[in-house]
Amino acid sequence: MSEDSVSSKKTGPAPQKLLGIFALAMINVAAVLSIRNFPSMAMYGWECIGWYIIGTILFLIPLSLAGAELATMLADKGGGVYAWCKEAFGEKGGFIAIFCEWSNNLVWFPTVLAFIASTLAFAISPELGSNPIYLFVVMMIAFWGTTAIAYFGENVSSKFQNYGVILGSIIPSILIIGLGVYWVVSGGAIVLPPFSLSEIVPTFDLSTLPFFATVILLFAGMEMAGFHALETRNPSTDYPKAMAISAVIIFFCTVMATLSIAFVIPADQLNLAAGVMQAIEYFFTALGIPGAIAPMAVLITIGGVVSLAAWLIGPALGLGVVAQEGNMPPLFNRTNKYGSPVAVLFIQALIGTFISLLYVFLPSVNQAYWILSAMTVELLCIVYLLVFAALIKLRYSKPDAPRPFKIPGGMAGIWLIGGMGAFGVVFAFIVGLMPTGDFSSSEAVSYVAGVLLGTFLLAVPPLIFLKMKKPSWIETSIKEG
Amino acid sequence: MNESDTAAWGAVLIILVMFLLPIIWIVALYPAEPYHAVGGEPLRDAAQAAGIKVVSATDSTWPVAGATGGKTYTLSNENGNLYTVQSQSFDSAGSRDAAIQLYNAQSVGRGRPVGKLFIIGNHLVYVTPYTSEILKRIAPELQKLKTT
Repeated sequence: MSEDSVSSKKTGPAPQKLLGIFALAMINVAAVLSIRNFPSMAMYGWECIGWYIIGTILFLIPLSLAGAELATMLADKGGGVYAWCKEAFGEKGGFIAIFCEWSNNLVWFPTVLAFIASTLAFAISPELGSNPIYLFVVMMIAFWGTTAIAYFGENVSSKFQNYGVILGSIIPSILIIGLGVYWVVSGGAIVLPPFSLSEIVPTFDLSTLPFFATVILLFAGMEMAGFHALETRNPSTDYPKAMAISAVIIFFCTVMATLSIAFVIPADQLNLAAGVMQAIEYFFTALGIPGAIAPMAVLITIGGVVSLAAWLIGPALGLGVVAQEGNMPPLFNRTNKYGSPVAVLFIQALIGTFISLLYVFLPSVNQAYWILSAMTVELLCIVYLLVFAALIKLRYSKPDAPRPFKIPGGMAGIWLIGGMGAFGVVFAFIVGLMPTGDFSSSEAVSYVAGVLLGTFLLAVPPLIFLKMKKPSWIETSIKEG
Repeated sequence: MNESDTAAWGAVLIILVMFLLPIIWIVALYPAEPYHAVGGEPLRDAAQAAGIKVVSATDSTWPVAGATGGKTYTLSNENGNLYTVQSQSFDSAGSRDAAIQLYNAQSVGRGRPVGKLFIIGNHLVYVTPYTSEILKRIAPELQKLKTT
């Protein structure tokens, strides 16, 4: 399309104000509440409470409060973390933040897609879980199906997420909690030792460092509702309430459901092999309701798809805003009549498909995937570090900007919240560089250099785009449909 | 296609190459692990060769398709610290690789897995956490078993 054929500066229709408190809260719950975490956390018994509290203090609370302040302050700007970081650090900072979030997703997608496929296999025939053709077909149906839902815009995708998260995340969590309570009330043997406060204190040593870092990012995704600021009816009042509601739901469901599993299943059964469905199978069989396993598998599959949708749509919306502002070639700047960034969604789906192909069909790329997953952690840490830094910086650079929700405590409060969050993600970043024990010293050096270089390559495209930026990019508007 | 379009497509191409470069590079750097039958108990052999005491070993079969059995070992170093390590054999390369995929798909939150799977032919050895001192010691011995 020639530049001359384009007249308007903005692409696509003006966003409709569709989202209220409930819809915003459900977007966050969809992104964060994951049943697949429960068995792995249940292995720690009572100690899981302590770990969850650490994750809450060092990440869930700081990110929720930071998101609430930044989203309400910049309610008229789209792009979520892009808008927040851009306001503090300019286009470069904002673009790097959103691109890191987007690119880390692309490497993460195959794992959540494989989770969806292997969980669904449990409802059909568990043996299917080791069939690569089955895995790939289901993964692609989930991936492109979710992309199609995103294509139809906020109205369709928010309804999908609202119903999906209740069905696939909240109901299964409540079911697990209810059955755990029933187990205790009906006199079932609790496999955990008697409760005492000392039991919940986590063990801190070199061996628990990797888990500590994992726990910090356990609640990653609380910023997801921020990507939908332009579609929110009353962002200044709805956003903080949605953050509070989603944080409470996530914390309650996560802790209680994990404990329910820990009550029933001995820790030695919750070993490596205890994927969520293996744990659910054990759990439901112990409770005498094996017939509930397959329906539960379907519900958890839905939960996986909804989580995928939240992570697939949010950052794509953010990158779409970057393109609309002329920071990317016009090719990325296509929105359809529903206001969806179709070009970003399509490119995302293509790259995700390619990586999924590698994931499923390249045999035993165990070590390779390990290193890629380390890079995704580093990219995510960069995003959150920029968010917490933006929170603090904006209090200095724009002290008088209206903030409908303001973190209490003045500058001390902002440093405490932002500092805790920043400490957590810097810690997770450093631990992410730790090589596995099987590397020799020289391999370890190569590993660290490789992870840093790979992270750099996955984070640096914004700098190239900005270097190549042309005035014509901002003038070009391509409207599909 | 005008000059601007060419530049835009060029930018896209550069980005795609930059994006896929680390992924392809890593996959090329760490090729597939061959599947072949390894007899005996590779983990016990590796631990003993590394001077680590095997305190106990109990039979265990992971509830995943194709798992044919293995053991959960309790190991002890010179200081008396105990470590639990598992080993499992698989009936095919496909089932072994599916178990790895399942494991990667079950990581907590957005973090990477806390444990490490080590491939020895038809066996998977699981050590957690991935920084474990015991892994440092048995890894070279396991590496030797890969080539025998």
